[in-house]
Amino acid sequence: MKKSLLGLFGVIMMVLLAACGGEDGTENTSGDADNDTDGGTGGDITLRIAWWGDQSRNDYTLEVIEMFEEQNPHITIEAEYAGWDDYWQRLAPQAAANELPDIIQMDLSYISQYADNGQLADLEPFFGEQIDISDIAENTIEAGRINDGIYGFNLGSNVLSTHYNPEILAEIGIDEMPERYSWDEYQEMAELAANADYIFDTGMQSDVFFNLYLRQHDGRLYAEDGNGLGYEDDQLFVDFFTIIKEQVDSGATPSPDETAQYAGPEDSPVMKGEGVAVHQWSNQYVGIQEMNEDINFEIAPPPGEELEKGLFLKPSMYFSISENSDHKEAAAEFIDFWANDIEANKIILGERGVPVSSIVQEELSTEVDAAQAKVFEYVTWAEENSTPMGAPDPSGAGEIIELLGNLSEQIAYGEVTPEDAAAHFRTQAESILGN
Amino acid sequence: MQTHMKQNLWGYLFISPFIIGFLAFTIVPMIASLYFSFTSYNLFNPPEWIGFANYIEMFTSDPRYIQSLKVTFIYVLAGVPLQLVSALFVAMLLNTASRAVGLYRTVYYLPSLIGGSVAVAIMWRNIFGDEGIINLALQGLGLDPVRWFGNPTAALWMLIFLAIWQFGSSMLIFLAGLKSIPQSYYEAASVDGGSYFQKFFHITLPMLSPVILFNTVMQTIGTFMTFVPAYVISKGTGGPLDGTLLYSLYLFKQGFEFFHMGYASAMAWVILVVIAVITSLIFYSSKFWVHYESEGGR
Repeated sequence: MKKSLLGLFGVIMMVLLAACGGEDGTENTSGDADNDTDGGTGGDITLRIAWWGDQSRNDYTLEVIEMFEEQNPHITIEAEYAGWDDYWQRLAPQAAANELPDIIQMDLSYISQYADNGQLADLEPFFGEQIDISDIAENTIEAGRINDGIYGFNLGSNVLSTHYNPEILAEIGIDEMPERYSWDEYQEMAELAANADYIFDTGMQSDVFFNLYLRQHDGRLYAEDGNGLGYEDDQLFVDFFTIIKEQVDSGATPSPDETAQYAGPEDSPVMKGEGVAVHQWSNQYVGIQEMNEDINFEIAPPPGEELEKGLFLKPSMYFSISENSDHKEAAAEFIDFWANDIEANKIILGERGVPVSSIVQEELSTEVDAAQAKVFEYVTWAEENSTPMGAPDPSGAGEIIELLGNLSEQIAYGEVTPEDAAAHFRTQAESILGN
Repeated sequence: MQTHMKQNLWGYLFISPFIIGFLAFTIVPMIASLYFSFTSYNLFNPPEWIGFANYIEMFTSDPRYIQSLKVTFIYVLAGVPLQLVSALFVAMLLNTASRAVGLYRTVYYLPSLIGGSVAVAIMWRNIFGDEGIINLALQGLGLDPVRWFGNPTAALWMLIFLAIWQFGSSMLIFLAGLKSIPQSYYEAASVDGGSYFQKFFHITLPMLSPVILFNTVMQTIGTFMTFVPAYVISKGTGGPLDGTLLYSLYLFKQGFEFFHMGYASAMAWVILVVIAVITSLIFYSSKFWVHYESEGGR
């Protein structure tokens, strides 16, 4: 009796162990889509889709998935979603194990890495078949091109912009934000703010705005072939980061040790009505407008006289299909639904960037709220006042971004001169990209 | 004979959950990581054998690696002793008889249970923020507020304070050690007119030295591997100016942000060797300062 009890106990232990081991594979599926979709007729095809995002994005994406499943009863979709960091940390091992989801939300800075390593499927064979691209501009589609194929379906466009508070702008003595202003004029305006004890802006994300500056001077951050830097003259580096440093020194931009204290963007002086502007991507406008509804932010182009050369439409994100997917056609149908279905886009409301289909854009213009409409308007203006983006970021872009971020921090702290940083950046970046 | 075998079999069955888990989730991954450490491996393509190149790069051409070693050593050298001192101090307070001792023990142990969690690291961000309690207190004393997250040295000290605050598990072990010191020793010392400090240095410390050794070793190993607080407090950057770039944070960045899995594996093996060497140094030193009662009559 005693022994059989012991035996039972032993078996239970083993089962527990096995259960613990097996769970690792499934617990990652943080979505509850299983419960929603497994009922009913049961699909012949099961697709997995993965994205990063916050709660509101998760909610509406699940809604769109449900809508798609209703119209395509033979397809069941399982959702896997996470925050930005966790998302990429989970995707990499999945890629190594050939277990990528069928549909993957991709970002500009990672798409080369995945496409170059043969993880993504070329979408061109699906165009005109499953995916209708007749209402989508060619530039928009081409933004997903890596070498010989389209490896990401562009979901929407973003443009660099300056979001400013007109009241504070008036208070420092500027009636209106000029549509086009040189970097010198930018520094003059910033000085007015500093003299009036306001900050002018919260700084610029180094990789994004250095790239803008380089484009305005006929270069770009990465070479078109991705094997090196896209500018020859290190003086450009010195000039740009000298501007950034002078901004910090004059008090027009908060110092890095001050910004490090902020818990989030809501702590920045601009959000508290103590500063003029934030330089960021156009889709981020909606977020700051929601954060503080007492301020009516306006959208203007970023600094630099060569406006058109600098500006470009950046794919806010892509949907890619994984090469190891067994149901590429079904995955392509979902992408088509996402891009072209009016009802679906009335739920999405441009949250992933201004819709790519001109028909959808038109239909939506009456649906979106005032803030979103302003973003649509700015992006439409930018379509006419920008130049092509060029090749997407190469593999290793993540490391370059971090390297440049560290150097720009050291410059702002006065640990290194812009000249030394420029040389260091070139050596390091070329060794990273050369690999 | 047969019963003997059978009994052994039962024994193995009962430890099998551990053995299987240990083999599958510790030994096999360790061997794999040793192999990867000699390769260039980005998770996508098959690993490519490059010999000792990862190890050489670490010490010759990666200033951030050296920085992460430096930060980690400061963190361990400052954090472990301070944590042990506070653990011993609180343990001695709790060793005095009081009715509420049980409550205090729990209260002081709590930080150890939750200290490694993300929630606490976030709370720490708030405590040391511009309007956090620390800076309000400094201002109350008429001092200038400190930008804890903006100053590399201050940011590292903030992490060290967090480590010190988690003294609970060492404290409990000290407390058990203190309880096992026979009261008669103290009584004898009192009869001879020994002062409080004499009792502490000549009875408590020597009697407690095996426990101190144990705590030192455990805390040193644990502290070397700290990850979550540095990751959360610096928002994953190790900043400012790499001032909080603890070793495991940099390892994580190399592996999962830059996809240098081979390099990250090599880093893991180097720190394993470093921890092993330091641990054996501590053990070696122990014969000069650890007092075992059983050897007393030798």
